[in-house]
Amino acid sequence: MMDHARYRSAIMADPRDPGAELRAHRESCPECLAYSERLLKFDARIERALRVDMPGAADVLPFARKPQSLAGARRWLAIAASVLLGAAIVGGIWLTLPQRSLAAAVVAHMAGEPDAWQRTDIAVDAPALQDVLKDSNLRLKPAAGIVSYASSCPFRGHRVPHLVVQTPKGPVTVMVLVHEPLRKSMQFEEQGYRGTLVPVPGHGSLAVLMQDSGVSAAEIARIAAQVDDSIVWTR
Amino acid sequence: MNDQVGGKQRRARFQALCQSLRPDLLRFAFWLSRDRALAEDVVQESMLRAWKAQDSLLNEAAAKPWLLTIVRREYARTFERKRLTTVDVDELIAKEEPTLAAAEEQDIADVRAAIMKLPDEYREPLVLQVLMGYSTAEIAHELELSGPAVLTRLCRARRQLRAACGEDTTLDPQE
Repeated sequence: MMDHARYRSAIMADPRDPGAELRAHRESCPECLAYSERLLKFDARIERALRVDMPGAADVLPFARKPQSLAGARRWLAIAASVLLGAAIVGGIWLTLPQRSLAAAVVAHMAGEPDAWQRTDIAVDAPALQDVLKDSNLRLKPAAGIVSYASSCPFRGHRVPHLVVQTPKGPVTVMVLVHEPLRKSMQFEEQGYRGTLVPVPGHGSLAVLMQDSGVSAAEIARIAAQVDDSIVWTR
Repeated sequence: MNDQVGGKQRRARFQALCQSLRPDLLRFAFWLSRDRALAEDVVQESMLRAWKAQDSLLNEAAAKPWLLTIVRREYARTFERKRLTTVDVDELIAKEEPTLAAAEEQDIADVRAAIMKLPDEYREPLVLQVLMGYSTAEIAHELELSGPAVLTRLCRARRQLRAACGEDTTLDPQE
């Protein structure tokens, strides 16, 4: 036999879906009926409170690659490496950083975007690239080469440009981390990726990495220097 | 060539699915983490995991619970990675306040603040029930709890919310 206390416990757990026994009690008990109605009103408030506004939530695609024709695409940097920056990076030591480090976070991010690593000569279209770069206040010199992937990715609480640039040595991923200042360059080798983190004074840092395909640390450092050199900061 | 076309179609279908469900996934992740930035990270990572595991989704109609489960697991992984042992709830509420004040009346803002203060074990089943439309049995399955345990948590969640929001609780069931 259903009593008031049992009814109220049950209805409080699920005010919208009372079973037959609860409905029968409610119909015979004006006090519990009134109680149910108050609970339902409160539940409507809970639902409204839970339905937080998520502006632009449906606008972000899981992949943001926008291929276009070869027109306008340029070959990877022909300019010689910035010896100074390169030397500074090569002077660093290989580090296996702890899991929570910036390098580990970058590598973890890579693992989720396997499609970005394709070798291709198809560049993303310029407006799409510009869109990804604009919030970080930068643009790329045309000499930067073929940017085959550009996505604005969530990373440690910020949206950051995630680019893939095609080089003669293979695809290179660049993440522009304006919110991650670094004091010095660091090189890392983790989970099949080899890369470097480069401080960019006043603009956080860059992560530059490749899938480990025999490219030396010095070569990655040289590529990172070229990437750094091809960035024009607009603010 | 056919493989390429098939791959593109698969990708387009997956993108459409993600786009339609993303707002709800974000809300769910937000209520797990109570942090918009973290929720976005979790959902983005979840979608990528879902893409890689899409063969395990046998029925597209079941995509939402399938994705919600992935989001829950991804959040748990994030939690483990970041070792988020303490959370300053007042700080989280303050962070949300400008959004609330701009878009919602104070009444809803108060309920939202009270939900934020609910313990995780009460908040999560409540979100699944009220926002995601899960039945008690589905919540029990998702959270690996018994049905009575879910009902107890839901009852406690509402009781705490009602008290926090100044509702008349004299008729509310006691422990």
